[in-house]
Amino acid sequence: MHDKEGMFIQRLASQGISRRAFLKYCATLASLMALPPTAGKAFAEALAKGSRPSVIWLSFQECTGCTESLTRSHAPTLENLIFDTISLDYHHTLQAAAGEAAEQARLDAMKKNWGKYLVIVDGSVPTKDGGMYSCIAGISNYDMLMETAKGAAAIVSIGTCAAFGGIPHANPNPTGAVAVSDIIKDKPIVNVSGCPPIPVVITGVLAQYLALGTLPELDNLGRPKAFFGETIHDRCYRRPFYDQGKFAKTFDDEGARNGWCLYELGCKGPVTYNACATTKWNEGTSFPIESGHGCLGCSEPNFWDAGSFYRPLSTPSRPIKIAELGLAAGAVVGVAIAIANRSKKAGAKAAHQIATVADLEKKP
Amino acid sequence: MWLEDIPVNVSGADEFLTGNAAAVLREIASLLEQLAQTGEGGCIDLASLPFTSADRTWLRDKLGKGEVEVSISAGGPSTIVETGTPGVWWITHRNEQNAKSGEFIEVTLVPELVATHPADVLSGLESLNKKIMN
Repeated sequence: MHDKEGMFIQRLASQGISRRAFLKYCATLASLMALPPTAGKAFAEALAKGSRPSVIWLSFQECTGCTESLTRSHAPTLENLIFDTISLDYHHTLQAAAGEAAEQARLDAMKKNWGKYLVIVDGSVPTKDGGMYSCIAGISNYDMLMETAKGAAAIVSIGTCAAFGGIPHANPNPTGAVAVSDIIKDKPIVNVSGCPPIPVVITGVLAQYLALGTLPELDNLGRPKAFFGETIHDRCYRRPFYDQGKFAKTFDDEGARNGWCLYELGCKGPVTYNACATTKWNEGTSFPIESGHGCLGCSEPNFWDAGSFYRPLSTPSRPIKIAELGLAAGAVVGVAIAIANRSKKAGAKAAHQIATVADLEKKP
Repeated sequence: MWLEDIPVNVSGADEFLTGNAAAVLREIASLLEQLAQTGEGGCIDLASLPFTSADRTWLRDKLGKGEVEVSISAGGPSTIVETGTPGVWWITHRNEQNAKSGEFIEVTLVPELVATHPADVLSGLESLNKKIMN
């Protein structure tokens, strides 16, 4: 048996995690990443044998929700196995060191692993007024990112703030917040968007890098296709109701009780690419639509400025009357609305709208 | 009024056959043929397909019920059930909270997760020998 693998399995055993549990986890992870399900075993072996690469985690203009999403995922935490397979050398929320010692740990890790370490960023980077709106140890986020990224093998932008600017970037964007990819142009960047991102998506990207030494195939927004290849709507269990033209009109009507489609209540599922409908949240319990609330579109750029969360995608920017289109036509209507959605989303960016309690009560 | 007093019924969405089960059945037949000819089968991930309860029921009915049923307790319960079509196994993984975390159809002689790993045989032997010595 490979020594490293043996030690890894022993370490897992000491945490009460058996080899079969690990294999099971890897099989699930591999299939979630659209790798062949039988690749789970190879995946497990590579993870167990792999060296522990240095990871520097930079938290900028953020709420720590992304870290919480990962560290609070399962208990006892199979997702957290990832921390056994990396050397997390800097993470100012999790590390014991503080002050100068913490910053020294980052510099030491960079020097020791120059060109090989992985940088994870959560949070956007403020650029206005010299980047003074968010600093760590007296260093602006901008300067810290530029310095740390230089020796990185790759960067993973965790969460919508790091990937697309997120909420700090929302209109009027007082700090001049931008995404990592707006600043760093010479390194491979993977965007794992979501507010917060799904834990297994974070783990999956890291696991692929650790096990296979590669980054996943990305979509046009730099997101892993395996998780962001389809819309929430494509995989929604309420999709049959959309196709039949059965919609909840308010959050407490007969349609809502029957679990009908939440499109008319503002669900952004048709224009949102993410894996919530398949991986779900809270140990696979459910996802927002399953709890009776439409998707907010949190994994998409500018989601905060894309109009009220409670207005149907089709209404504000173009006066398409859903009734006029004939909802019974289902799939045909779906195509028409999808086209209108894109136009609406672009239009809504320009006209920022604020959701109020009245929006919630208003009938579409 | 309590939250649980509000009647919510979402079972309707699961009453439809999407057509995916029929496609999966053909894929299973193809893997089974491959297993018979080369000894190498394959695996289908049901969790990544839009599959309704009606699809599952349809597929289970077509595959039937076999003789072997394995329960595994590792990182949550798992069941590995041979269907009425020998060589076709229905695998359901659940996590520690008993939520379904994966569902596969494996076409193989013996599912991989059932077999004991050689390294575990050695550590088992070591542990057994210690017990004999004491």
